[in-house]
Amino acid sequence: MGDEFAIELHGVRKVFDEVVAVRGFDVRIRKGEFFSLLGPSGCGKTTTLRMIAGLEEPTGGEILLEGRDVSHVPAYRRNVHTVFQDYALFPHMNVERNVWFPLKMRGVSLADTRQRIAQVLRIVSMEDFERRLPQQLSGGQRQRVALARSLVDEPAALLLDEPLGALDYKLRVAMQKVLKDIQRKVGITFIYVTHDQTEALTMSDRIAVMKDGRVHQIGTPDEIYNSPATAFVASFIGDMNFLRGRLVSSGPTGCAVDVNGCAVRTARAACLPGGSAAEPGSEVLVCIRTERVQVNPHRATEHAVEGTVKRIVYRGTDYEATCAFAGQELRAVVSSVTWDPAVAVGSPVRVGFNAADLSVFPLSEGSEIIQYASEAV
Amino acid sequence: MKRTTSPARAFLRGIPVTAWMLLLVIGPLAFTFLMSFWSTDGMQITAAWTLKNYALFFTDPLYVSVLAKSILLALAIAVLAILTAYPLAYLVSFRIRRGKQLLFMLSIIPLWVSYLVRIIAWRTILGNKGVINSALLAIGAIREPLTFLLYNRFAIAITLTYICIPFVFIPVYTALEKIPRNILEASSDLGAGELRTFVNVVVPLSLPGLVTGFIFAFIIALGDYIIPIQLGGTQGIMYGNLIWNQFGFAFNWPLGAALGFILFGIAVAVLTATSRFGTTEGGFLNE
Repeated sequence: MGDEFAIELHGVRKVFDEVVAVRGFDVRIRKGEFFSLLGPSGCGKTTTLRMIAGLEEPTGGEILLEGRDVSHVPAYRRNVHTVFQDYALFPHMNVERNVWFPLKMRGVSLADTRQRIAQVLRIVSMEDFERRLPQQLSGGQRQRVALARSLVDEPAALLLDEPLGALDYKLRVAMQKVLKDIQRKVGITFIYVTHDQTEALTMSDRIAVMKDGRVHQIGTPDEIYNSPATAFVASFIGDMNFLRGRLVSSGPTGCAVDVNGCAVRTARAACLPGGSAAEPGSEVLVCIRTERVQVNPHRATEHAVEGTVKRIVYRGTDYEATCAFAGQELRAVVSSVTWDPAVAVGSPVRVGFNAADLSVFPLSEGSEIIQYASEAV
Repeated sequence: MKRTTSPARAFLRGIPVTAWMLLLVIGPLAFTFLMSFWSTDGMQITAAWTLKNYALFFTDPLYVSVLAKSILLALAIAVLAILTAYPLAYLVSFRIRRGKQLLFMLSIIPLWVSYLVRIIAWRTILGNKGVINSALLAIGAIREPLTFLLYNRFAIAITLTYICIPFVFIPVYTALEKIPRNILEASSDLGAGELRTFVNVVVPLSLPGLVTGFIFAFIIALGDYIIPIQLGGTQGIMYGNLIWNQFGFAFNWPLGAALGFILFGIAVAVLTATSRFGTTEGGFLNE
């Protein structure tokens, strides 16, 4: 087992002065995997990362690094490196000496390792900057140096704490590709903390979605996006419609929900905490992605209901049409290419969607989603 | 939109600070400098130009040897003050979480107490019937009071080190506080234990504060004349006393001015040599 996994967390917990930051984290991260910790600020993702780094000591549970228990081993004796959000380069050392630092701590002289340093700087495209001081570099360049410094002694894993958070949008998108390319090239396990769902979805092999110290779901980007395990995951990732309804019947192949008198069938069982059966009659939330809602669909959809367009927002690549439906609102995001210009505010439309695109969550659990999807209510 | 200041405006703005400097710094210094080339006639200062004040310094071995001994003693005091104040500043800055402000205030509170009172306090600590001797006599560790404690260079060094500690503590503490804590975490993360982080990261990054503290201590110690008078005894004469004597007893102000200017020259030389490392803010490379 120790050969297969770079990092294993078993029931890892962290309590700060009676405030629970992380409550029981279990995961096995494979070698070479790009694993993201995603969640809003204060969800415990950074604390989890810092526990893996050795910068915080877990209150309970075990952290295994390449099969070895390192739960109480100090940071400087762990074979993992962190890339800090504001880079944390040593301001009194030039680029070369910054990159040399971890090797120097292992007793390797600068002369013996010039080649290795140059090689790593080439990987991050910073080979002509060896003599520069950190304050003479731009944000993106510092980021690359911080990356080179963490990669130079080939650690078991690289821990990245919102590494692109301080960069502007264009640079951030460019650096996402750079990071992913570098990770493929060096084949080192990356653990990546971010609050940006797009970043997590585009870069990761697997994502752990966290909130209030709890892991809501661990899965591939596809699983996270298309089969959210909780209402929070559904609301935090992507653009989701939430409809309030009452559960009529529930089974393993799907359930029927009454949304203000309109019968809605889903192809999936209701997601309940602990996998218990949903009781008919209980209040639930029905979720559907905005891009899965069709306005005047050309092909037949399993559900097709009459609605009225209340609002149209043009967003460049697409239109967002908000339709009144069964006393609630359903937003449809339609590509500008297929948008029917005849649709206008107030015009009656057919709103179509398929049972396979619906998820159902109990309402009590759904109350925590509202702040992320207030426009859906 | 670029805002430019017209030359006339810039000139007007510069007047107050220039006037202040001229009146309070340059003026008195220039006057003293001129005086160092004058002579005395009995008790009377006359503006008869001469180089004999400076010549005396270089020809009479007393002055050079006292200056050399004073420089050595001041260096020792500056080093002692750093060895005492740096660990204190390190502990307060890095190890203390609660009551940090209080500890900082306690560290510099001696500055609020009169200089003379603090000197006399050391006399009561080091004296024949002082705290140390009384305590040692009481427990029977010694039969006679220890005499090497007071009225010599040892007493000067101890007391001046004590006087200098806050002046070293403040710039060092400021420099340590300015080190971003995640840089220390990065160092640990990259394989350095506390000692190696201290040597490779903390010391280089606090160097500006360290140099500033060193200069403060060195210059304070080199120019002091009260402590040698009070605690130095007959052996403890320092360069500051030579200057003080010219003004206070010998009424040879021109010679005093010349000796003072030689000290001033040394201070300028030390500041110039170290200005590369030290800033008053204790920052690094002005970033």
